[in-house]
Amino acid sequence: MVGDRILAIARKETRQLLRDPVYLGLAFAVPLLLLLLLGYQLSLDVKGLLVAVVDQDRSPWSRQYIDAFVHSEYFRLVAVLDTEPEAQEWIRSGRARVVLVIPPDFARRLSGHERAVVGVTVDGSFPTRGQIALGYVEAVGALYNEQLLRAYLSKRGGEHAAPLQMDRSVWYNPTLETKNFIVPSMLVLVLMIFPPLLSALLIVRERESGTILNLYSSPAGRWDILAGKALPYVGVSFLDYLLIFAASLWVFRVRFIGSVGVVSAGALLFSICTIGIGLVISALTRTQLAAMMATFLGAVAPAFTFSGVFAPVASDPVSQLVSRLIPATYFMDVVRGNFLKGGGVAGYAPNLLALGVYAVAVYSVAWLVLRKRIG
Amino acid sequence: MASRLVAMTRKEFSQLFRDVPILLILLWAFTGAVYTGGHGISSELHEYPLVVLDLSRGPASRELVSRFRAPYFKIVEYAASDAELVGLLDAGRASVAIVIPPEFERRVGEHAARFQVIVDGTRSTSATIAGAHIARIASELGVELLERPRRDRAATVPQVDARVRVEYNANLVETWFAGLLEVLNQVTMVSMLVATAAMVREREYGTVEHLLVSPLRPAELFAAKVIPVITLVPLAALASVFGIVHAAFGTPIRGSVWLFYGVTVVYVFAMASLGLAIAVVTRNLGQAMMLLLLILYPMLLLSGAFTPPESTGAFMRYASVLSPVSHYVDFGYQVLFKGNGLAYVWRDVAGILVLGVALFGVSVRRFSRLVG
Repeated sequence: MVGDRILAIARKETRQLLRDPVYLGLAFAVPLLLLLLLGYQLSLDVKGLLVAVVDQDRSPWSRQYIDAFVHSEYFRLVAVLDTEPEAQEWIRSGRARVVLVIPPDFARRLSGHERAVVGVTVDGSFPTRGQIALGYVEAVGALYNEQLLRAYLSKRGGEHAAPLQMDRSVWYNPTLETKNFIVPSMLVLVLMIFPPLLSALLIVRERESGTILNLYSSPAGRWDILAGKALPYVGVSFLDYLLIFAASLWVFRVRFIGSVGVVSAGALLFSICTIGIGLVISALTRTQLAAMMATFLGAVAPAFTFSGVFAPVASDPVSQLVSRLIPATYFMDVVRGNFLKGGGVAGYAPNLLALGVYAVAVYSVAWLVLRKRIG
Repeated sequence: MASRLVAMTRKEFSQLFRDVPILLILLWAFTGAVYTGGHGISSELHEYPLVVLDLSRGPASRELVSRFRAPYFKIVEYAASDAELVGLLDAGRASVAIVIPPEFERRVGEHAARFQVIVDGTRSTSATIAGAHIARIASELGVELLERPRRDRAATVPQVDARVRVEYNANLVETWFAGLLEVLNQVTMVSMLVATAAMVREREYGTVEHLLVSPLRPAELFAAKVIPVITLVPLAALASVFGIVHAAFGTPIRGSVWLFYGVTVVYVFAMASLGLAIAVVTRNLGQAMMLLLLILYPMLLLSGAFTPPESTGAFMRYASVLSPVSHYVDFGYQVLFKGNGLAYVWRDVAGILVLGVALFGVSVRRFSRLVG
């Protein structure tokens, strides 16, 4: 029976795995520890940006303007300086990320119903952070201008409200908590890192220790070897998924409005894919070290960049194509969608189908490259 | 002593140079990986995809819509109905929607117009920033609408205009940052991986017993393991900074190359020592790999490249003092990108040096005890 041979190999792999309890323990503990550490500590919220002020006006008006920055949670005032070159030095040494320069005519212009100009310098060496700083400057500025406008209108009598107002509502993550974004991303991250690294050692280890010859001379075919080796590790990574999923819901209390079945199906298919990628690399390499590094740099790192874990994938056609070619992208859609947007089982069928097709393709490649080596 | 060290080092070098797959992987790490990594991510806050549902279709609503433009917004669709708009948001094709009500035109005339904004909150920071841009657009247009009928008179509304200038990267080009980060991260990963593997291999093959009965002292053995990494990785990093980050991405390199090279040597020493420490406490490559991931990923993700140190909790701020990666990332951007000299980065350099020596010392001691 074909199934018997697969099961025999799977049983042997399982036994081998159980004999190294440290390794097996780490395979569960490390993902969980990573989730706890990063889930609590990795906040993508940028708050308390260091701001230095050069106040050349030193009037109640300028102080009020500075206060608008200080009282928002976005900024933290680190210094009130006298000259602009001094402020530049603070940006250069990284002690301030934003510098505000308030000109001497600030109060005179505002009290005379004119426009005042404030100089804002932002450190652009970390571009995302620079853009966030720019956005915050705009947010605080818009709020301050609205106050000015309201005071002006009430002095003029009649109208009190701003002439054009927006009503903002936030969907999917109404409280704007980063954990609702980070924790589901961590689920994908863990399943893209660990399974392929675990399986990348499987074939090459036998080659290094010479036991692969036993496999070659056994009646087990290529498919038996691949399936038998993959099976226990798919189990390990699915257990990893269950652990992390449970921790997301009950430790981090992340909002989840989708279907557990869809996410689980996605996790299973994704694990099969990534275990397969590890097996392909394992079949192609000669040393465990090479297998590990190739998996790390060739499979894990690109998945990190092109699945949009933390930053969106670039919009150029090549990056978009790469992102469509890796399974992590499809699984990411499933996870993020089910955690935050819901939207029914049917909506995710194309993603699950893509993962299934991917799995078939990966194991076909593994089947082909394994033959070369045996031949 | 010197001859023992030389002999062992020569063995490590020839072992590394004979391992063609590893050399190819190293080559990829500092070329292809840097190139794709630098290109792959985009800024979250650029060309935010916007869908418009304009029920007013008057000159005022058209003017409002025209204010949503590059670089912050990109209109992906003019929706015809609520359902279409919701569909685009659900599918993630649009991240923000504006809905302009039918009475908008009339209300603008009365100086009391409102419109609705829906933001996808999934990426909370982007959602906040997009909200800020829209608030500015609304406030500016509102003031203009007030001033417009009285343009002949001098009276204007008191407002503050912010003139923004961005230092070091005027257009906030993401590849300048991402390419450099990729090089720094490759230095981190490769130094640790190669050193760990060089030691674990001896244990797995059992050749560590040969080394133990040889006259080689643990410190000499570890030095021999570290020297090839220190020799190759900093040179590869330098080549990558100039050959790819500068040549292909056009990132300006403003600082001292020698300072970067010198500190990278010290940093590679520190990370390789950390790799050796991992190898000493584990039994096989599988275990070493798991421990490596547990240490490596938090250090990479909390290095300060994604979140500024001042925004993280107190625990992380203190922990990052103990992470060579945080020091190195700060050092790398300050020197190469801002053109700062030793006077600005000496703290980082001292941190890397102290951590490196400590890690080396600890792993040698652990190993000696294992032997003794």
